[in-house]
Amino acid sequence: MGDRTAVRRCALIFAGIGAVCAASAAEPIPGDAELAAKIAACTSCHGADGNSTSEGIPSLAGQPETLLVNQLILFREGVRRSELMRPLVRGFDDGTIIAIARHFAALPPKSVDGAADPALVERGRELAKAGHCGTCHLPDFSGRAQIPRLAGQREDYLVATLTGYRNDVRTRPDTSMNDIMRGASDEEIRALAHFLARQAPPAMTH
Amino acid sequence: MKNTDTNQRLEGIPRRALHRPGIAAAVAGLALVFLTGEALAQGWAQGRPPELADSPLAPHAGRLTVTPPDQIPVDRIQVPPGFKVELWAHGMPGARMMTRGDKGTIFVGTRQIGRVYAVTDTGSTREHSIVTEGHTQPNGVAFRDGSLYVGAINKIMRFDGIEDQLDQVPAPVEMTKEFDLPSDGHHGWKFLAFGPDGKLYVPVGAPCNKCEVHPDVHANIRRYNPDGSGMEIVARGVRNTVGFDFQPGTGTLWFTDNDPDWLSEHGPQCELNRVSQVGQNFGFPYCHGHGIIDPEIGKPGSCDGVELPAALMGPHSAPLGMRFYTGQMFPKEFQGAMFIARRGSWNRTVNFGFDVVLGQLSSDGKRAAISPFMTGFLDTANNSFWGRPVDVLVMPDGALLVSDDHNGAIYRITYGG
Repeated sequence: MGDRTAVRRCALIFAGIGAVCAASAAEPIPGDAELAAKIAACTSCHGADGNSTSEGIPSLAGQPETLLVNQLILFREGVRRSELMRPLVRGFDDGTIIAIARHFAALPPKSVDGAADPALVERGRELAKAGHCGTCHLPDFSGRAQIPRLAGQREDYLVATLTGYRNDVRTRPDTSMNDIMRGASDEEIRALAHFLARQAPPAMTH
Repeated sequence: MKNTDTNQRLEGIPRRALHRPGIAAAVAGLALVFLTGEALAQGWAQGRPPELADSPLAPHAGRLTVTPPDQIPVDRIQVPPGFKVELWAHGMPGARMMTRGDKGTIFVGTRQIGRVYAVTDTGSTREHSIVTEGHTQPNGVAFRDGSLYVGAINKIMRFDGIEDQLDQVPAPVEMTKEFDLPSDGHHGWKFLAFGPDGKLYVPVGAPCNKCEVHPDVHANIRRYNPDGSGMEIVARGVRNTVGFDFQPGTGTLWFTDNDPDWLSEHGPQCELNRVSQVGQNFGFPYCHGHGIIDPEIGKPGSCDGVELPAALMGPHSAPLGMRFYTGQMFPKEFQGAMFIARRGSWNRTVNFGFDVVLGQLSSDGKRAAISPFMTGFLDTANNSFWGRPVDVLVMPDGALLVSDDHNGAIYRITYGG
């Protein structure tokens, strides 16, 4: 699936152009070159402005800070398993993780490119309503605290994540998503992801 | 059902099924009842009245970073006169269920952060280390004959001779295959305890907020021989228990249970239950709390034959760890009573719980009266909280330990002195 391909591609980018990436960091942190280098490493895959243009790689811009902190810790601990992410964050202390999270949480999210299929958007809207997605992710899907922003997230990433929850492959941080997605069809997941990706990212409130 | 339009469009899509094919086949008759016309996320959405359709209630965020001790306001904790509370151990994000080794090590399970901690008391201070990490919600810990048993989703491991090898923990004995637990993530985290019969008691929660389940698979409490053989279901109709203990003297199993979300602000109330007979039915998913027939999937008579709670624990209060007080330190009225940690609600607008309560037995030993014991984590004026009690553990000297997964801390309560 796209997940593995993306990981390989990104690993290559990472190995080849580390120096270039470092130079393209969106907002170097003045006075903290070490942190800036760490953030630059993130942006080589997740986009210089935190809006990913890489297949299967999520956008981080405008995600809630707590969500980013928690996910980075889960990668560090090897609980959320990723062959790419764990080596990158292993050894980061809580303070570094909080600083990285703060950086990306403050960046403005962008809308996704690509034409919308109106029928699929409509189907996704109905499913999101039936699934009460807006309860936790908020009605504009902007997310909050530990709960991710879905509006404007990459469609391929949403498909992979929702499928992971459906298949009980991903069970963290909270298993409520396993409950919600249990038994969902591929077609429903496709529609949900298509709809959510095409919601305009709301102005940041968190 | 609500959302009729959507349901009609979704009709015919099999979902919310018992999704292991073998099981589904075995219970085809039951499955037919609920395979039709159910919307995405039915278990999650089921039972939600229209006025809650746009509710923004969501689980509170867990804190996975270390909370420094100076940010843990122990002085805000209240206990009855004569009792004292101290911060006993800290710096362990997500600290939850506790068990004590023969040599005095306190082992502490977690959920999100995937670790099991070991706390050793050096006299004036406590040190902690990580026994094992990288697991999916290793919440359950139990100790027997020198071995630590850890229950994760959906995994059972055993660490032999652990207390002598805390500096270099050996690879555990994998027992997952022997215990053969369902693979579901939701409510798949475990509480573990050995009974007076030497068996390991393991709950299997319902893989949903509310859904029909096969009673031999989900929503039950099981017991096994320590090697995973000889499985027997001890209690059925148990939605999600994360705490139980055996009454000293009688050996009777008492357990807490978390009732469904979304039915209303005020209920159904969570439960404290008593198992007077092996295999008893405690009602889920048709009969909740003190005999509330489920408005959607229950029918007249759904509470017939259901063992009702020994005590009601309050709406959405999340009663988790509970133990009988077996110490001598606390005054007489506490001896033989239970302490029950209520982690606190998320599925109601006004926060409730966030405390440790006392459960005192009725004269016939079948019911319990609940009263406050350890409070102050909840600020009712601002509807906010700063800590969440998860488990309680009686120490050999009679002191009571209380874990708090929000602050990664363990408190110690003593009396007198």
